[in-house]
Amino acid sequence: MAEKLYIEALREGLREEMLRDENVFIIGEDVGLYGGAFGVTKGLFQEFGENRIIDTPISEAAIAGAAVGAALCGMRPVAEIMFFDFFTIAMDQLVNQGAKNRYMFGGKAKVPMVIRGPMGCGTGAAAQHSQSFPAVFAHFPGLKVVMPSTPYDVKGLIKSAIRDNNPVVFVEHKLLYWTKGEVPEGDYTVPIGKADVKRDGKDITIVAGSIMVPRALEAAQKLEEDGIDVEVIDIRSLKPLDLHTVVSSVKKTGRVLIVEDDPISYGWGAEVAAGIAGSEAFDYLDAPIKRLAGLDIPIPYNPNLEKHAVPQVPNIIEAVREVLK
Amino acid sequence: MATIVKMPKLGTTMTEGTIIKWLKSEGDPVKKGEIYVEIQTDKVNIEDEAETSGVLRKIIAKEGETVKVGDPIAIIAEEDEELPDLENVDNISTQSQEKSPPVSQQQEDKTEAVKQTISDKIKASPAAKRVARENQIDLSNVIPSGPNGRIVEKDVLSYIQEHKVKATPVAKKIAIERQVDLKAIQKSPGQRITKQDLEDQIIQDVDNAVDNTIPVIGMRKIIADSMTYSKKVAPHIYLSLEVDMSKVIDLRERLIPLVQAQHDVKLSYNHILIKAAATALRLNPLINSSFTEEKIILKQHINIGLAVALKDGLIVPVIKDADKKGLAFIAKETEELIQKAKSKKLLPDEYHGGTFTITNLGMFDIESFCAIINQPEAAILAVGKIIKKPVVIDDEITIKPMMNLTLSCDHRVIDGAVGAKFLQNLKQILEEPINMLL
Repeated sequence: MAEKLYIEALREGLREEMLRDENVFIIGEDVGLYGGAFGVTKGLFQEFGENRIIDTPISEAAIAGAAVGAALCGMRPVAEIMFFDFFTIAMDQLVNQGAKNRYMFGGKAKVPMVIRGPMGCGTGAAAQHSQSFPAVFAHFPGLKVVMPSTPYDVKGLIKSAIRDNNPVVFVEHKLLYWTKGEVPEGDYTVPIGKADVKRDGKDITIVAGSIMVPRALEAAQKLEEDGIDVEVIDIRSLKPLDLHTVVSSVKKTGRVLIVEDDPISYGWGAEVAAGIAGSEAFDYLDAPIKRLAGLDIPIPYNPNLEKHAVPQVPNIIEAVREVLK
Repeated sequence: MATIVKMPKLGTTMTEGTIIKWLKSEGDPVKKGEIYVEIQTDKVNIEDEAETSGVLRKIIAKEGETVKVGDPIAIIAEEDEELPDLENVDNISTQSQEKSPPVSQQQEDKTEAVKQTISDKIKASPAAKRVARENQIDLSNVIPSGPNGRIVEKDVLSYIQEHKVKATPVAKKIAIERQVDLKAIQKSPGQRITKQDLEDQIIQDVDNAVDNTIPVIGMRKIIADSMTYSKKVAPHIYLSLEVDMSKVIDLRERLIPLVQAQHDVKLSYNHILIKAAATALRLNPLINSSFTEEKIILKQHINIGLAVALKDGLIVPVIKDADKKGLAFIAKETEELIQKAKSKKLLPDEYHGGTFTITNLGMFDIESFCAIINQPEAAILAVGKIIKKPVVIDDEITIKPMMNLTLSCDHRVIDGAVGAKFLQNLKQILEEPINMLL
């Protein structure tokens, strides 16, 4: 199996879906000839032309609104928002239109659209180009939210997202684009709403998402040297949330650490923690559920401070030790 | 409001009490002032009154159970009121006979009690609790290793491992077949229970099944403790002589109708012995004393105890200042005390404070015996049966009603001659009862 970059796997997924279904098109800022700010759509303009790779003015509201309208008319748009931070501008179209239409038309309308973009800090892009807040969208009924962490998952999930008849918020992390992993040739999908055990272990469960999955795996590897056997679950979809996989794991290990990239207050980790506490796993908990997440601050520009704003591998190791104390 | 009823303090020396009988069952209504439980204290039974009205919701101390003063014995509450958790007893109003402290003090105590309860609660992880529940382990026995004194699953598992009953396969098989609880077999740690251990246990169980047992509680325990104590601390010497009771018999015959008329009681030899002993004690103050490590206390009052046999023990009611009372009054008082003792209604004051004891087994045809001193007294007089015997007087054999007296003395206080002198005085008084008037 070939090793590919996350960004390549994502592009491959988009291309294969465009080849498979002529209703699939891409819309966004500089997605055409330029190939997207991070290069996700590189080469697609040349292959599919300006009718299927559409450049827009700098208006996230227009991008989201156009995508919702096109989806209602039977197309399968994939809208790119250059930075996840500006999902806030697309939010009205997405939340008040995209998320509601299927319900308000009694199921007669469907909104098969994907809105995707890169979140996260670590590139020195400062407070307005570094945020992670996928949990915000998981709060709205009618939206699905996924955040793949590996090249394999990103290809499989973009295909599932495009084929889904509901609006899917597809969250990438800037630092993941240049990570490598095995990706099979040809068509396969990864189901939405299914978490994935990325590493088997028996001493503690780490539930992580997006960029925190590779960090958790790295921490697990280091902890293994001390004989600590960590299980790492990639939550993968925030909505629908796969509590079943988490609960089964916690029943096995009795201890759990949730690692998030988002600011800690009201983050998705709280939802997972509440889910565990209210589940049959409660009687198996041998230590309090611990959350490790971003600080409640705007992401600093200073690279040293930026590093401290979200969990890093040493923080995860330390948190694991604390739970195991 | 639920009331936790505590073991009341019914006398100054009372430290614990035994529940003899619950006159009400769980679920019965009780009224304030109503007698609802019988409690055995020191040496008496006391019927205790409810201090509040409500329903006797829960009996905490079962009949026969001995409970420290102040420990909960029952809960009285409204009919459908939710019962308080006994762990939190301190937070709820409690019925006790002690005077209530002022309100501010009470509130402080309450805050303190709440704090106490929180810190007393066992901290255990849900997993530890589950494992404990599944294995019927009392978490209070498990040593915590988690942060902040939390018991974690591992602690419970190692507790189970440590307390696991180890037995050979054959022993296990027999245990199941014969329904023997392996946990009941004592074995040094690490050693496995063998077939032999199990067979021994079965034999022991069979033996136990044949013998009835009586719990050593209340009066029985007090008798056992105080007799052992006396024999341990006091070196006993025994002095014995015989008394010619002719004149006492004659005196009694004459006094019976008079005492009967005055107090409606029949004058007995014991009454006369009390009066005689009191008179002799006045002449021999060392006999009416108490030994302590520092000093010998010569008692001002002559309070004579009379041992009274009960169905399940004995008690010694005290006739106070017997030397100052007339025979008729002693007779009346003694009979009243005996009646109270037999119906277990003696009050603590009526069996405390004795300075000398008389014990008489004549009615059981006992001629003489040696008694154990009733501490902290210094001597006890054991009285035998009056028996007509041939005695030699002026070289002639005559028949006389003779009675044996044996004085047990605490040699730490009373030397042989001192005891002998008292006994001789007593003999003289009994043989010439007119001396009692002196």
